[in-house]
Amino acid sequence: MTTRRNFLKASIGASAVVSIGGTAPQILSQAGAAESKPSDEKILVMVQLSGGNDGLNTVAPFKESAYRKARPTLAVQAADALKIENSYGFHPAAQGLSNLLENNRLAIVQGVGYANPNRSHFESMDIWHTCQRKTAVRNDGWLGRFLDNTRTDDALDIPAIHLGHEKQPLALSSQDIRVPSVKSLDRFRLNDSGKQLRKTVTNIAKSASPSGDLLGFVQTSTGSALSASEQIEAASGQYKTGITYPDSGLAQKLKTVAQLIDSGLKTRIYYVTLDGFDTHSRQAPAHEVLLRELSGALDAFVRDLDEHGHGDRVLTMSFSEFGRRLQENASEGTDHGAAAPAFLAGNRVKSGLIGKHPSLHDLQDGDVKFHTDFRQVYATVLDKWLEVESAPILGGKFSPVQALQS
Amino acid sequence: MPQDIASIDPDWAWSPFVPSTEQPWNRRLAAHLCRRAGFGASSQELDALVKRSPSELAHSFVENAKAASQRDPETDALASAMLATGNSRNLAAWWLYRMLNSPWAGDQASTTNPLLEKLTLFWHGHFATGAEKVDDAEMMFTQNRLLRRHALGDFGAMTQEISRDPAMLIYLDSTTNRKAHPNENYAREIMELFCLGEGNYTERDIQELARCFTGWEVRRKKFRFNRYQHDTGAKTILGETGTFTGEEGVEIVLKQKALPRFIARKLVRFFIFDEPTAPEQLVEPLAKLLRRSELQIGPVIERILASNIFYSPFAVGRKVRSPVELGIGLLRCLHGSSNLDQVAQHLDDIGQAVFYPPNVKGWDGGRTWINTSTLLGRSNLVGELLRNEATRFGGQTLETLAKKNGVSSPGKLIEWLDELLLAVPLDDSARKELLAFAEQTTGNPSRRIAELIQTLSTVPQFHLA
Repeated sequence: MTTRRNFLKASIGASAVVSIGGTAPQILSQAGAAESKPSDEKILVMVQLSGGNDGLNTVAPFKESAYRKARPTLAVQAADALKIENSYGFHPAAQGLSNLLENNRLAIVQGVGYANPNRSHFESMDIWHTCQRKTAVRNDGWLGRFLDNTRTDDALDIPAIHLGHEKQPLALSSQDIRVPSVKSLDRFRLNDSGKQLRKTVTNIAKSASPSGDLLGFVQTSTGSALSASEQIEAASGQYKTGITYPDSGLAQKLKTVAQLIDSGLKTRIYYVTLDGFDTHSRQAPAHEVLLRELSGALDAFVRDLDEHGHGDRVLTMSFSEFGRRLQENASEGTDHGAAAPAFLAGNRVKSGLIGKHPSLHDLQDGDVKFHTDFRQVYATVLDKWLEVESAPILGGKFSPVQALQS
Repeated sequence: MPQDIASIDPDWAWSPFVPSTEQPWNRRLAAHLCRRAGFGASSQELDALVKRSPSELAHSFVENAKAASQRDPETDALASAMLATGNSRNLAAWWLYRMLNSPWAGDQASTTNPLLEKLTLFWHGHFATGAEKVDDAEMMFTQNRLLRRHALGDFGAMTQEISRDPAMLIYLDSTTNRKAHPNENYAREIMELFCLGEGNYTERDIQELARCFTGWEVRRKKFRFNRYQHDTGAKTILGETGTFTGEEGVEIVLKQKALPRFIARKLVRFFIFDEPTAPEQLVEPLAKLLRRSELQIGPVIERILASNIFYSPFAVGRKVRSPVELGIGLLRCLHGSSNLDQVAQHLDDIGQAVFYPPNVKGWDGGRTWINTSTLLGRSNLVGELLRNEATRFGGQTLETLAKKNGVSSPGKLIEWLDELLLAVPLDDSARKELLAFAEQTTGNPSRRIAELIQTLSTVPQFHLA
């Protein structure tokens, strides 16, 4: 199959970009932009599931009697499960995850958690964000430390973007870098009714010789802000995709992320959240909606990135602060648990189940036990994907899981 | 005039600035004073101020601010209306209103004063307390009054009071500071961020000081001492041993040699330049003054605002405008009034929501105000503010305002705005670009002026103060 990306690669390689009907100018300008400004650095997109996603009903051990017994009203039935392997299947609402798996785009890292699990939402989320327990000083997050460790002097492009209305996740807190929280792309739009403002100011910012002082800094920042906004506007104006995103909040956020990536922004970290997973009562309908939103959005996003030629450089990771208890409660819901699966999606993952499904017969306070520390998943992302040494960021050495193609 | 900051003679730096033929006292310098000491000044205010000498102004600014600080805004009608909603977000508009509507010319009855509001904002960033966690508008308001009351007064008294301030107690977890499990948060920050700076205490000092604060609680939005939860044992803090209470613990911190230097340095950065780090010998005379005056803030501010260095190229244009300075400053300079709830929301978008500092360190300021999204946001804010139906300029349109100020052509307009709004003047090529821009705009005059101002506010020079 000739994808558009392959076509582009081939034509640039052969220096044979010729006009083919009306589509050529756009391709030309994109190829040109890619050449003058190579943005081939690897990108990480974090999808946080807030509230504690029920891992046992996301990747369901539907054959196990212990599962069916513990969940008389909630268990995913064998007939409905979207098969992963013989004994495991996705919740029927997670069609998108199943598609990703079928396309070799999804690694399911099982049994992720940490020792002495904390079952408070805030505390456990803080642990995931900072890699520190409550007793330690927690001024920054793991991604914030990544930004600090990789910052360059001309840190003018936005190193990370949090997209959403909620408070900025602690994971992005850094000593030196302020990550913008963006509610919508409008925040990158310049209100320039006559179209002359940008031109005028760009000329002024360009005309002065760059210096190391405050004015020089604002000059270069202004130049780069104006060009970034132009790129984003151009990209969002003519952003076309053959992929139909579902009509959901998460899908729209991820579509925006795809646009930003395609606009040539050098941002390496994107962060979005999906809230509502705290399903203490009447879990079935709520969880179904959430899993449909998550999986549909992820599936569309990954295919969209592929269509635009970014599939090989974007990795999406999804996690929740904890899983939920094996035994369902009296309100047809589940209470806070511990270990749960984390997902890595993208072209470069080792698709399939990674590690064992945690045992239902070896519980700790009613919860399945973790066997993979969440920091091992982070180490995978840092060492193998973002290509930085993970130990200083995570506060220790953690061995990566085998979830990425080498 | 020394060439670089390291070779500045501190005596020269802190001596009063006396205008000369090389550096005459003019509207541009008066505008600099007003941007730093407050939130800018209108053309008419500058006309009045430029008739007085810089040292006379520094003195009267401080005196007026002090007088206003003693007139507590407790019975403020706007504040009561905002508080009635219980939402701290609404308090921002109340405060922005004070910043916008405080006269430079000392009005004897006024409870507001630009320097007083500027300093209150400084202390809000210093003793940073976030409304998100405190979650009570009334407590945030009470703290704001506390900061205003002490803004130019005794730093020691302010620190004692802020240590017992309900909003602060909640923000830094003092309310969970029990005898059996001392919470070290406040003890750490009072030394690290409020009084001494890192390196001037040990972890052990923090643990011991935290024990002094055990039993300090909040009940019904008021401070309460719970003697059953107070650790009455002996503590050793910064070399002193005794059965110290919380107040005594604070007193020990306030006595430290490092304190005047720490506060003086922060004031230098706030009022004079963002960067580089001020050399020790430059800060020392201010620290000495602070020590000698037993931690009175007013004299230090007066010394700063009257000094050679304050009016030197080391200071002029050497700060990045904060969002509040940008939004409120623009309105002030143009006699503007607007929907301040919306303004507060815009300021939040570009990185500064008053009552919601990002963390206990407050706003870092300087270069951290600037990034792609805030620069675009700044330009959009100005555009939105100028075009907003609710925005009036001296009760009128921009066209009327320009006419009143004798501005009759695009060239004149650029010249007028340059002096009024910019710390660093435009160079010739920038003027030419702006002139070309102004000439190609079309539509009604007010709209054309608004477009020019928005463009000017997107020019790099505009972000410097």
